[in-house]
Amino acid sequence: MFERFLLAAGLLAVAAAPAAAAGDPILAISGQPETLDPYNTNTTLTTAVTKSFYEGLFGFDKDLKVRNVLAESYENSPDGLVYTFKLREGVKFHDGTTFDAAAVKANLDRVLDPENHLARYNQFNRIKTIEVLSPTSLRITLKEPFGPFINSLAHASAAIISPTALKKYGKDIAFHPVGTGPFTFVDWKQTDYVKGAKFADYWQAGFPKVDTITWKPVPENGTRAAMLQTGEADFAFPLPYEQAKMLESNKKLKIEVHASIIERYLSMNVLQKPFDDLRVRQAINYAINKEALAKVAFSGYAFPAQGIVPQGVRYAHKMDPWPYDPAKARQLLKEAGYANGFEATLWSAYTTTTAQKAIQFLQQQLGQVGIKVQTLALEPGQRTEWVQTAPDPKTARVRLYYAGWSSSTGEADWGLRPLLATEAWPPKLNNTAYYSNAEFDALLAKALVSTNDAERAELYAKAQEIVMKDAPWAPLVTERNLYATSARLSGVYVMPDGNIDSGEIAVAQ
Amino acid sequence: MLTFLLKRLLGLLPTLLIVSILVFLFVHLLPGDPARLAAGQDADAQTVALVRTELGLDRPLPEQFVRYFANLARGDLGVSIRTRRPVSTEIGERFLPTLLLTLTSMAWAVAFGLIIGIVSAVYRNEWPDRVGMTLAVSGISFPAFALGILLMQIFSVELGWLPTVGADTWRHYVLPSLTLGAAVAAVMARFTRAAFVEVIGEDFVRTARAKGLKERVVIAKHCLRNALIPVVTMMGLQFGFLLGGSIVVEAVFNWPGMGRLLVDAVNQRDYPVIQALVLLFSLEFILINLVVDVLYGLINPTIRYR
Repeated sequence: MFERFLLAAGLLAVAAAPAAAAGDPILAISGQPETLDPYNTNTTLTTAVTKSFYEGLFGFDKDLKVRNVLAESYENSPDGLVYTFKLREGVKFHDGTTFDAAAVKANLDRVLDPENHLARYNQFNRIKTIEVLSPTSLRITLKEPFGPFINSLAHASAAIISPTALKKYGKDIAFHPVGTGPFTFVDWKQTDYVKGAKFADYWQAGFPKVDTITWKPVPENGTRAAMLQTGEADFAFPLPYEQAKMLESNKKLKIEVHASIIERYLSMNVLQKPFDDLRVRQAINYAINKEALAKVAFSGYAFPAQGIVPQGVRYAHKMDPWPYDPAKARQLLKEAGYANGFEATLWSAYTTTTAQKAIQFLQQQLGQVGIKVQTLALEPGQRTEWVQTAPDPKTARVRLYYAGWSSSTGEADWGLRPLLATEAWPPKLNNTAYYSNAEFDALLAKALVSTNDAERAELYAKAQEIVMKDAPWAPLVTERNLYATSARLSGVYVMPDGNIDSGEIAVAQ
Repeated sequence: MLTFLLKRLLGLLPTLLIVSILVFLFVHLLPGDPARLAAGQDADAQTVALVRTELGLDRPLPEQFVRYFANLARGDLGVSIRTRRPVSTEIGERFLPTLLLTLTSMAWAVAFGLIIGIVSAVYRNEWPDRVGMTLAVSGISFPAFALGILLMQIFSVELGWLPTVGADTWRHYVLPSLTLGAAVAAVMARFTRAAFVEVIGEDFVRTARAKGLKERVVIAKHCLRNALIPVVTMMGLQFGFLLGGSIVVEAVFNWPGMGRLLVDAVNQRDYPVIQALVLLFSLEFILINLVVDVLYGLINPTIRYR
């Protein structure tokens, strides 16, 4: 009996051998792309996948620096309104169409037409006119100067789709991506994978270095880690913190840990008592031990936030974390008239284990200075209804709110304006502190239309210092991205914003 | 028998209608704005409004209601808010993997459950019973999530015998069906044992033994049939639950099934998908109940259909 079992087991072992074939790497990611139309998504992970098929005029490298892709160069007029682009020659789309200025115009016209109902509309709505000067030359005029314009073109959603394919597929372009990227679209099985094959006429000679690329959505953390170990995946992100040590000891794997630009913060509704009192907000800042939070909730894969916008974002201003001083916190609460503390609710924007740990930790820390908080992790529907679309600021129920953000344009503007500007109060954007400071708003507005780098840096630095002083937030931690690849894989990086750069993907034979 | 079946099948329609009305209302009562969710974090109010019109969510609720039912009557389940694909495709892709996984899990769960249950009942309070019931209690109390991860760690990662994720070959079915079936097998074993213990004490069993029948025949023929009624009821219920797709097992083994679809749909307030899934689950439960009723008659010929 036992022998027979062993025999069967042996047969199984021979039959299994599930490892990915050489040259056909599989990348395991945490969620399914909801679309393959880069203009119709706000999910970072989705654009990580679409980047296999699409390129834009500009792109971000793995350190979030802007680089030229389909544009060779550009000039900006002194008033900051007119951009003239010189486009790359000799680039073909997957369907054979030639890439030119008219193609760029067709794509921008498409997203700018409200009739198309595309989710990325607001990224481009400052554009006034788009003129084709010659096949390789394009002029874009803005309604008002906009400092981060090139950054918004470098964002992965500003991809250039083949105009022929756009005509052919219409809305269904979401299921038939045709771009200039390193891989042509092969197959999208929604429940299983998105697959691309090497594009023979790719303009960058020598790339891509693999025959196919397969993106596999695997929502469970532990399963992605298991797939790495069995060789069923060559890349996995994110990984469970608890397993990092064990994976590190595996010689077949490479573990990577890099600082992200994802900042976790606690926003306080400054329209409501007791958070309208600066001393209370300062007290909360003093009451939280950020070092310990990083250790407890993030297993050390985070560090205390160095200001309002994390380092790595352009124009981020580095500031010392608020010191941990519970005695001072209690003192401030006493001065504010809350010697016996008070009760409050703390919501988390996410229901993940990490978020649950974080709010429990915050609850404990605030409890130590006499603030009794009730915690609730909001599922997405509750979050949108109670926080993001609360119609009236005066009656909004949000008080303490644990959330996170990464600036998708890689610029301070998108790390500040949607979260702290007066115009960004819900239901418009995500100013969940209902913070409003005229000076801060003016600085942001001025920086947005400025085209002078040094001036912008100074304006943003001032703006961030104001927020730190007014303390509508308790900045908590900046996360570290933890991911792993098989030893044979190279050229795949998790970028600081949680996007994935896979342009140089290669597999050692 | 035929009229019974026809009557029951016709009775389906009003039930499904009531379910679909209730589901429509409940789903729209849930807090959360699908347009906001579909538009994503970076979207401003203008973009959300665009998405809302695109999804037809700007229309008054009664109009959406009428439109939903008009489409439903034509067999059109609508388009998913999240993926913009037809709901029938979304569900169709996942139905078969869920069904096959349910069948495999049920098959071995029923086999093991029955055997353990019968053995335990026959050797009541002796060591086979103790072992069987210890196994059963462990099966119920061991969380599926932990069991799945453990099995995967042993058989996929350490031994390399079986693949971790996917649903392509029979080897992909082994671990998920074991994980999914463990709890069912345990419940079945407990149920079978309880039903059997009761039946073994009945007079007709004593009579059967008294007339000199072999113990094997007494157990397999006389007891089993009579003990099966509650067990089959239980089986039907478990089958129905499994058909809904297991969220945990599907997450661990990345199974392309309906549990994950439901979770994603609820999280994103994907109204058309939630409505269609709930409707499908009710239909499945009604059909399974019907099958169970028919099975009663096969097991116990004294049961008559009217």
